[in-house]
Amino acid sequence: MSEILIIGAGPAGLSGAIACAQHGLKVTIIDEFIKPGGRLLGQLHQEPSGEWWNGMKEAEKLINETKTLPIDIRCGVSVYNIERHDADWYVYTNEGVFESPYVLIATGAAEYAIPVPGWTLPGVMSIGASQVMTNVHRVQVGKKGIIIGANVLAFAILNELQMAGINIERVVLPAESPISKKESNPEEVLKILTEAGHLAPSALLRNGSKLMKIDSLRRMALKYFPKGGMKINGTPLQLKKAAIEIVGNEKVEGVKLATIDSQGNIISGTEKLYEADFVCIAGGLYPLAELAAVAGCPFKYIPQLGGHVPIHSKNMETPIPGMFVAGNITGIESGKIAMAQGTVAGLAIAMASQSNAKIDEQLQQALQKVEEVRTKSPIQFIPEIAEGRLAMERVWEKESNRGELERVIF
Amino acid sequence: MTRIVHHPILGSLNNRQKFSFVFNGQELEAYENETIAAALLANGIRTLRHHEESGSPRGFYCNIGHCMECRLTVNEQANVRACLTTVKPNMAVQSGKQHPNIVKRMVEENE
Amino acid sequence: MHKDNTIIICRCEEVTYSTLQETAKLHQCSARELKLRTRAGMGFCGGRTCRPILDRVIEDFIPNTTADAIPLKYQPPVRAVTFGTVGGSND
Repeated sequence: MSEILIIGAGPAGLSGAIACAQHGLKVTIIDEFIKPGGRLLGQLHQEPSGEWWNGMKEAEKLINETKTLPIDIRCGVSVYNIERHDADWYVYTNEGVFESPYVLIATGAAEYAIPVPGWTLPGVMSIGASQVMTNVHRVQVGKKGIIIGANVLAFAILNELQMAGINIERVVLPAESPISKKESNPEEVLKILTEAGHLAPSALLRNGSKLMKIDSLRRMALKYFPKGGMKINGTPLQLKKAAIEIVGNEKVEGVKLATIDSQGNIISGTEKLYEADFVCIAGGLYPLAELAAVAGCPFKYIPQLGGHVPIHSKNMETPIPGMFVAGNITGIESGKIAMAQGTVAGLAIAMASQSNAKIDEQLQQALQKVEEVRTKSPIQFIPEIAEGRLAMERVWEKESNRGELERVIF
Repeated sequence: MTRIVHHPILGSLNNRQKFSFVFNGQELEAYENETIAAALLANGIRTLRHHEESGSPRGFYCNIGHCMECRLTVNEQANVRACLTTVKPNMAVQSGKQHPNIVKRMVEENE
Repeated sequence: MHKDNTIIICRCEEVTYSTLQETAKLHQCSARELKLRTRAGMGFCGGRTCRPILDRVIEDFIPNTTADAIPLKYQPPVRAVTFGTVGGSND
C-alpha cells in the first residue's frame, strides 16, 4: 500500500508525485496510456521568446526525476471506480484494487465533441487524436484533412500537424445546428480568437487584436473577411464556411461545406463538396472529472474554467477528506500550470500527513509559482481563466465556512 | 498511410524493431512500442470494426481511451482498446462485426 | 441547420437529435428518463463522448435543469470493464 495514490501520469500527476515523494512519502501513479507523460507527450510549440516547448522532453525530465524517488509508475491501468471506507481510498482498476489514505486525481481534460452528420465515418477523429497519432506515434493521419472548429486548441494542433508535414486543406466552422452554440457563429469565433494571444492564427489578429476587441471593427473585419480564408502558415482559416456533412462510403471521402453569413446562417445554394481523407473535430477541452463525481465530490459550474469543476481550495484539496485534485480537472490551462498545480497538491498532501514549517514555506512558494506561471503564460485556452480561479476561491470560502458551521452544530 | 520518420524538431526515428502481427487474417508489419491503432493506420487501415447493430464502419475517434470506438478482439480477448494497447509480435487482432439480430429483422419486416 | 435533424448524438447507440427531441416532447421526461428511453449515453463508452452534448440537449428540452447540478449522475464503472474484473475473479 502506498501513502499516496495519484491517478494520471501527466504534468500535474508527475509533479505532484515528485513534490510529496521529496518529503518521504511513498507514491504510486497509475495511468491508462502506454507510457507516462499524459498530454505533455504531444505538445510542441514555439513560445513568443523563441524558445521551444517540447512536451516530450518535459515529460522525460519529470519521469527521470521520479526515478530518483520512491515513486512507482504503473501504465495501462484504467480506473473504473473509487470509494472511501474509514480512513482509506479504494481505487478499483483493471489491475486490481489500489488502497491509499490520500488520492490525487489528475485526470486532465477530455474533448468536447461536435456532432456533424457523418461523423461516425472512419477518418473522422477528435483533433487531440490527430495530435497523439502525429507527435506520439509518428503515423500520418492522412493525406488531405479538414479541421472543423476554430479555437486555440485547433490552432495549436494545426501548427503541430503542419510541422510534421501533414496537409490540412482548411479550417472551417461547424454548421449551425440545434446543438451548436458559439462555435458556429463567425462573430463569436472571431471574438474568441482575438483573445488567443500569440497563438492567434495570423499577424493581423495578433497585432490588431486590441482593435478587434471593438465590436464594430470586428463586424467590419468579418464583412471583408477574405472569401478564400485567411492563411495560417499556408492553411486557410475560413470563418465563413461551415461543414454541413461529412461524406464517404466506408470512410471519409469529403466534406460538404456551405458559405455562411457573419451570424452563421447558411446561404442556400452555396453547398459544395470538398475532397478530404480525414477530418479533425475541434470542440475544445473540458475538465475530466468523472472520478471526483463518483467519489461524491461537490461540483460547481464555472464556464471560465471550462465547465463542471470539482470544488477545491487553492491548496488543491477538495471537501472530501484525503482527496486532492490538480491540473486540467480544475480548469483548462497549459501544461506548465498543471505542473505548478501538481507541485502545490503534492506539498499540500505532504503537509496533511506531516505538517511542518519547511513544507509550509515550500507550499507558499509553490502557490506563488502558479500565479507567476499564469501571468507569464503565452497560451490561454480560456481568456477569462483568472476570473474562473477567483470564482472557485469564493466558492471554497463559502464551502469551508459552511463546513465549520456544520462541525459546530453537530 | 506512412510514418513520420523525420521531424524537424522531434528528430528522426531510427533503429526501431520491426515485427509482424495479424489483423483479420492478414499479416501486417508493426514497430515495437506502438499501439495497435497506430500500427493499423500505418498499414492504411482506417476501419477497425463495424457497429454491432447497424453495421456502420468505425475507426478510432479520440485515440486516448475514452470513446471505445477502436475496440477490437486481441488474442481472443474481446473489447480491447486498440489506442491503448501496445502491439506485440504475432498478436492476433480481429475486428468486430455487425451482429445478426433475427428477432429485430422479423419485427421490422412485420411492421 | 441540418434539414432533417438526423445528426447522431450518441455514437455508441446511434441515437439522433430528432429521437431525443421527439422522446422528450412525447414523454415530458426527466434527464434520466430520456437517457433510459433512448439509450443515449448508455452505450459502450458510457457517455464519455456525447455526455456534454447530451447535457446541452437536456438543458434545452427539460426546464429547471440547474447549471451546477450535473443533469445525469456519474456512476461507476467509469470505464468499460469485464464482469470478471468487477467480480474480483481477476485478482
